[in-house]
Amino acid sequence: MIPAGVSIEEIFLLAAALFVVLAIVMFYRAVAGPTTQDRLLAVNVLGTNTVVILALLAAGLDEPWFLDIALIYALLNFLMAVAISKFTVERGGVL
Amino acid sequence: MSAIAYTLVVFILLAALATALFRDVLSAIVVFGAYSLGMAILYTFLLAPDVAMTEAAIGAGVTTILLLLTIARTSRPPTDRLFERIHLPAVVAVGAFVLVLFTLLGDMYAVGDSDAPVWGWEALETTPSVYYVQETFADTGAQNAVSAVLASYRGFDTFGEAVVVFAAGVAVLLVLKREVFT
Repeated sequence: MIPAGVSIEEIFLLAAALFVVLAIVMFYRAVAGPTTQDRLLAVNVLGTNTVVILALLAAGLDEPWFLDIALIYALLNFLMAVAISKFTVERGGVL
Repeated sequence: MSAIAYTLVVFILLAALATALFRDVLSAIVVFGAYSLGMAILYTFLLAPDVAMTEAAIGAGVTTILLLLTIARTSRPPTDRLFERIHLPAVVAVGAFVLVLFTLLGDMYAVGDSDAPVWGWEALETTPSVYYVQETFADTGAQNAVSAVLASYRGFDTFGEAVVVFAAGVAVLLVLKREVFT
């Protein structure tokens, strides 16, 4: 399946590069909006995208500790969505 | 490999610009989350795991909640415009400052450059890194060279940092408590 002369690590790095380019595309929605909820969802998708990029870099560069940072993001990604949802529903209540 | 880093820098610059220019504060806070995501990947890419973890924990969690608490206690003016009007004198002042910083960029050593002063000047008998490895125990009595640098050689700096972190913690506690009891 893999073309000759290309290692699996290079394919992982290429995929990571593509996902970084996609992050810029996703960022269009974060700027264009039009509502705050659109921006929030865009940043949420960006967070998931970050986890994917970090995991691909961990595989591509053979640095397993990148996965620790990916795990932290996977765990904390929902926090902003929850906080801003609470803020929008009951204005003033954040925690 | 560096292509990934450069694309990341473009993304971070876009996110920083959007954060600075958004008229609506809530949108700016959300977009600031995207900026923090990009920075965390860049730190990881530059092999600084401790900084990346701090950015992940603080950027994704703490900053958003603290900024939200702040705008919950202040007013958020309704706007019809998407972006802030650009203040020209401020742009000129910041641009000049950035230009000055750019002139310093040429004097920086590349990462891992063997000519960098960390590895020793001609005038010194020994290099700083070798000095710390060899003389730390005699100087301070500490067995761990990294702890000795943090707590002894630059002890006052670490003390100042601890004061700053303590003050920030007290301020956060104050804000959170007020939030809970109202």
